Amino acid sequence: MAERQAELVGTLASGAPVPDGFDPRLVETARVALLRKRAGEVAKAWPALAASHGRDWSRTFARWAAARPTRGSLRDGWDLARAAGELRADAAEELAVREATYVYDGTAAPRPRRLPAVRRGDGGVIIQVAGRLRILRRP
Amino acid sequence: MTTFLATEYGVGVGWRPEIAGFVAELPGLRFAEVVAESVHDHDDLPPGLAELLARGVAVVPHGVRLSLGGAEPVEPERVRHLARVAERVGAPLVSEHIAFVRAGGVEAGHLLPIPRSRESVDAIVANVKRTQAELSVPIALEPIAAVFDWPDNELAEGDFLTEILEQTGALLLLDVANVYANAINRGTEPAALFDRIPLERVAYVHVAGGAEHDGIYHDTHTDAVPQVVFDLVAELCSRRRPPALMLERDGHYPPADALRQELDAIAKASGYPAVT
Repeated sequence: MAERQAELVGTLASGAPVPDGFDPRLVETARVALLRKRAGEVAKAWPALAASHGRDWSRTFARWAAARPTRGSLRDGWDLARAAGELRADAAEELAVREATYVYDGTAAPRPRRLPAVRRGDGGVIIQVAGRLRILRRP
Repeated sequence: MTTFLATEYGVGVGWRPEIAGFVAELPGLRFAEVVAESVHDHDDLPPGLAELLARGVAVVPHGVRLSLGGAEPVEPERVRHLARVAERVGAPLVSEHIAFVRAGGVEAGHLLPIPRSRESVDAIVANVKRTQAELSVPIALEPIAAVFDWPDNELAEGDFLTEILEQTGALLLLDVANVYANAINRGTEPAALFDRIPLERVAYVHVAGGAEHDGIYHDTHTDAVPQVVFDLVAELCSRRRPPALMLERDGHYPPADALRQELDAIAKASGYPAVT
């Protein structure tokens, strides 16, 4: 049973072939619904990133996430934002705020920074000291 | 266990941070549920939850990540967290799902169905017992909505659920929207399940919304509750009314008026007083 459960998770979370005996149409429906749900959850954690994609957010996220099992909404959005290249100003600031607040190496769970940090966003500079943030905007 | 079943909590709500302000202002509220994994086991309670407890509202931690139906033993740290959260909020009960959410170290990101087989019953019974050993309050188990079934099903759904409840002594958290979704998607009669499960073990009921896509009903918790689901609540209550029934909404929160109407519709369908 452990093996069959792992197979099924592989199908739904990474797009592996549907295990024997399951209804492929229904499993595909579940896979697509799961990606839609993940997109909604990541949009809650990364509102500016999601908004910057407008109506294409669900599709963009699903394309990126189809072969990547979730590591939680915070990390999923973070990985996507880092991989996205150029970000809209507010999405770039959202990412810069997180980068200034947490240490995240892309493999282990993010943890709060102990040391002060400065990150440049599109619209200014983000300074984090002892967990508090200041955003200095360019005039 | 008998204490919870003997108390009439009436209409409740799934407490979520996004609707904390709305929930705080429900004058008649006596019952709420909180996602167990969203509560820290020793740090501050989420804002608003402490006030709810101070008002005397019974708060039930609802686990979503234990993976009781997984073939692997339940992770002890997750069980301890659930037990500690239950103690923190003075819960009369906790709840979790008849489902698995990870396998082989990979997270599915959702509640997945388990096969209705003997092997599967044995696995979940063992995990529920491991969990009960750490808890100081009873646990209620919730059957999920599933878009697909396993090919290995040996037991009918009612027999499968009854078997798990009998072997564990657990209570039942019956999600009427899940009952509706499964029946519609399998082409069966929703209320038929009520004749096959021990209704006297229902601790409380979830009422949630959903939506249809391409002929399949999805239990989304982000859409309005369809009238047919309220009708099914009324049907259940006409057979045996559970101690508590609650609205479960997990996103795309509508204006307060729409939430109030759904709470009132649960009150009307169950015959409990309105809490709004």
